Amino acid sequence: MSNPSFARLGSANSYDAARSNLMTRQTNLVNAQEHLTSGKRVNTASDDPTAAAQAERALTRMSRINTDQRALDAQRNAITQAESTLGDVNDALQIFRELVVNAGSGTLTSAERSIIAGQLQGLRDQVFALSNRKDTNGQPLFGALASALTPFVGPQGTAPDYTFKGLPGQTASSEVAIPFSVDGDSAFMHQPARDGVFNASVSTIPVGRTLTTDNVVVTNTTTVAATAAAAFAATGVPYPVYSISFTAVDSTTTPGTTTATYTITETPSVTPLGAPAPFAPVNISYPSNTAVAITTIPGLSFSFTGTPAVGDTITINERPSIFSVLDDAIKNIGGATNNNAAAQAVSQALANIDIGMSRVSAVRGQAGDLLNRADNISSNQGKRSIQLEDDRSRAEDLDMIKGISDFQNQQTGYQAALQSYAQVQKLSLFNYIS
Amino acid sequence: MSILNIGTRALQANQVALQTAGNNIANVNTPGYSRQTVVLQTVEGQFTGSGYIGKGVDISTIQRNFSAFLTRQSTLASSTQAADTVRAGYLKQLEVLFPGGANGLGASINDMLNAFSDVASAPTDLTARTVVLTRVDETAARMRSASLQLDDLQNGVSQALSQKVNVINSLAQSIADVNGSIARANGSGQPPNDLLDRRDQLVRELNQYVQTSSIAADDGTVGIFIGGSQSLVLGTTASTVSLVQDFGGGAVYNKLAINRNGSQIMLDEKALGGGEIPGLLRFQNTDLVEGRNLLGRLTMAISNEMNAQQALGLDLDGNVGGNIFSPTSFGSQNVLTPTSPGQLNTGTASITLSISDTSKFAASDYEVNFTGAAAGTITRRSDGLVVTFPQVPPTVAPILATLDGINVVNSAGVAAAGDRFLLKPFATSASTISREFSTPRALAVASPVLGQMGSANTGSLQQTSLVARSNPPSVTPVTLTFTGANSYTRSDELPIPNTTVYAYTAGVPIEGTVPATTPLSQWSVTLQGSPKAGDTFTVSNSVVLDAAGTISLKLNSGNATAMMNLRDKPMFDGAVLSDGYAGLMAQIGIRGQSANYAAEVSTAVASNLEKDRTSVSGVNLDEEAAKLLQFQQAYQACAKTVQIAQSIFDTLIQTMSR
Repeated sequence: MSNPSFARLGSANSYDAARSNLMTRQTNLVNAQEHLTSGKRVNTASDDPTAAAQAERALTRMSRINTDQRALDAQRNAITQAESTLGDVNDALQIFRELVVNAGSGTLTSAERSIIAGQLQGLRDQVFALSNRKDTNGQPLFGALASALTPFVGPQGTAPDYTFKGLPGQTASSEVAIPFSVDGDSAFMHQPARDGVFNASVSTIPVGRTLTTDNVVVTNTTTVAATAAAAFAATGVPYPVYSISFTAVDSTTTPGTTTATYTITETPSVTPLGAPAPFAPVNISYPSNTAVAITTIPGLSFSFTGTPAVGDTITINERPSIFSVLDDAIKNIGGATNNNAAAQAVSQALANIDIGMSRVSAVRGQAGDLLNRADNISSNQGKRSIQLEDDRSRAEDLDMIKGISDFQNQQTGYQAALQSYAQVQKLSLFNYIS
Repeated sequence: MSILNIGTRALQANQVALQTAGNNIANVNTPGYSRQTVVLQTVEGQFTGSGYIGKGVDISTIQRNFSAFLTRQSTLASSTQAADTVRAGYLKQLEVLFPGGANGLGASINDMLNAFSDVASAPTDLTARTVVLTRVDETAARMRSASLQLDDLQNGVSQALSQKVNVINSLAQSIADVNGSIARANGSGQPPNDLLDRRDQLVRELNQYVQTSSIAADDGTVGIFIGGSQSLVLGTTASTVSLVQDFGGGAVYNKLAINRNGSQIMLDEKALGGGEIPGLLRFQNTDLVEGRNLLGRLTMAISNEMNAQQALGLDLDGNVGGNIFSPTSFGSQNVLTPTSPGQLNTGTASITLSISDTSKFAASDYEVNFTGAAAGTITRRSDGLVVTFPQVPPTVAPILATLDGINVVNSAGVAAAGDRFLLKPFATSASTISREFSTPRALAVASPVLGQMGSANTGSLQQTSLVARSNPPSVTPVTLTFTGANSYTRSDELPIPNTTVYAYTAGVPIEGTVPATTPLSQWSVTLQGSPKAGDTFTVSNSVVLDAAGTISLKLNSGNATAMMNLRDKPMFDGAVLSDGYAGLMAQIGIRGQSANYAAEVSTAVASNLEKDRTSVSGVNLDEEAAKLLQFQQAYQACAKTVQIAQSIFDTLIQTMSR
């Protein structure tokens, strides 16, 4: 017996091997077809675990972006609404201001002024309603960090007449979101030190005599801030009321020169009485009918013009909100019995409305910034989304050209295998033994 | 006469040769059949004066063509192939349970967390809240269903294992029987080829199930050994094998044991080598366990995190949020003790588990080995990491050790040296997870703390985030008063007046307590922008503010945002929560991929070796056809010889009769 050569083949084994090769080929062909029909290179994680995880993460990120974008849409809607609402407020205030200017005309009678006051009341109601406006989800537009369902309440019987039921402040924007609300406290409420909105009213001056004031200005913000804090701590009111009463006036002793004495009352009393004593009676002497500055109120100053008389009082009220300013204007213009009172009310209202409008505009600007920010976020997120889709696709999608070419290869290979199998199996020595 | 004898003898020899070729052809497809060849030898010649005269041919033996080496190699390779293939096949099934994409469990988890976004946009919208609860329910159902499918897979594996164990036992018995037959036939002087083939084939089949080694004995029998040195068949007696549990409570971690003289000897899985049973055991005890642990960890971490975050929020009625998922409880399924035939515990200790840190979980089971009452080692089974306890720094009794965010607690009794416990912290979390409530009002969306800037602030301070760390938090508001752009004082600092100045850095969280506690308590606030001296930021209890009418808690969605932020919490070996599933999928995928590779390689090796083996032992039809022709011709020639002998004889007779 010769030794079996290494090239010897067991017939059964060679059939088996050929058959199993054919089956492998067929499996590969089916796989190639599966990749082709699903369009995916990675059908199960074991095809390419890293790519599968990448694709999964990309999908997670994309769904996250979709969620963020949806939330951003809601946020943008709210802020857009807030911005346009502030615009409406501004418009209303502008009309209000024009009407106040009209009311200042010296030819108007008090009946006519009270008609104007009626119009003003309508505008004030409009502004107040706008300030409490809610977004489509029922969230107050001007809720700041947090607020009650109706953030602005008033007018109330006790000072302050209007309060902001909420927590002032602004939430920061993030890379994917902007706040849901803007700071209503900043838009509609006034701070004594920052804004210095004071209403000076004059007691009724008989016809024939005038006594008006200019606007109260803050001369020392630190003092004003300290006074405000002390008043709030003492009785919960935002700022003390100052009233200036003339106790002696003499304009006849020296012609052309008026000497007067007035006293200042602070309610509640918060200014520490120290040297120099702020509220001792003050004697002044000035050329008649010139503007006289009163600087003895801590941190504030204003001047009056006209001819004061004993018993006249000038009352300085801090106005904690734009609504208070509007209410003052309505009350004082509508209730002005003569031109002096009307002129005083109009001048105070105009100055204070201007301050209020600048607050509203400032916050409106912030809202506009937020909207810009939202646009930027939106476009960035859009780009990221495209990038992620690209990542996902690169990780798990099939390169179609390669896929088709692979499939063709497999197909050709399988065909060749089948044909050669059939041919080789026909070959047998037995065919030649007859 | 001798020519007739030579002819007849040669006829017989060639007939046998033809018969053998025919037998080869007949058995071409018989599994295990080894090609046989006739070994011819000349009959010793007769000495005469003119030398030795040949006396013809004789059959020495019927030779069985085989190579012990190649047979052994091929058997071993096919054994490895069987193990790898069966494991790869089951891993494919395991992988199917964790699909990716929009229909996967991962998408379901992310959808659930993303759903909080709509609640954050509209906290009072009950529809958005209901959507969240529906998603929570769906996620819980998906987790349960994945767990159930894992159970199904486990059942399938258990069934397959017990069937295959039976097959091993019957094959072992058959080998013992064939051993007996061979031993009896051994005396005849000729090898019992077919019996040998039969035995080789049985050994081959046995190796499909478990790898064996064999040692031949003098009497022709073969001893079969598994697990290195445990005899399965010795001469004509066969032992039986069975599956036994190392630890009680379920099929996981069961081992193959050999029964001898009434006792069971457990075989180490690693020593078993190839074969379907070791392959299945490997799948069951490592791959399936890992799948279950990964799922369990995902479930436990997410449900605990979400429950914890719920507890830091307030629902629509102002109550502290309740559990949204069923809370984790560790029971008898999570701590297993050894069962017979394993070494039983002698101490009285009972062990329970508790969670210390969800973000440190490792998807693994643990084995505790006591060397004393409160000392010993804990082995992480996934990678074999060994931790000794008592630990440094020491844990507080009754906690024995803390490992991977899990506390091992000696709840009662005292352990004895040598006691063992198997800890399976993640075994049950996915199967028992469910949504706890269905009232949308009960979803804790509001934050118990709120921030407030001073109205008179003049700087550009903005609140980036304010998160609650305790619920309810302190009712006393804490005011940060800035003394400059980079410093502030705190109102909660004693004694009053607060003079300590703290540094402020935009974007760095300020904690609710000084110094910060571990874990953090009260709240954490992050501010941005630059404050001016005198600016304030106050953190208050929102329930108090709500009661005072300052705010409406219903409008607050701080906790919904915090729930969403869980997506970015590092949880699973550092990967963020929302990527947890991608990691799980990939981990199973990697196992599948490597098992596929292993199966492909071992299949190629096995088929090559089988080819080599059959090149010696297999029947080649063309060869047999040639042999048929060869022996046919020889047979015809011999017949001719006989004919010639006859004609010579006839000639002789005729001559004599004349």
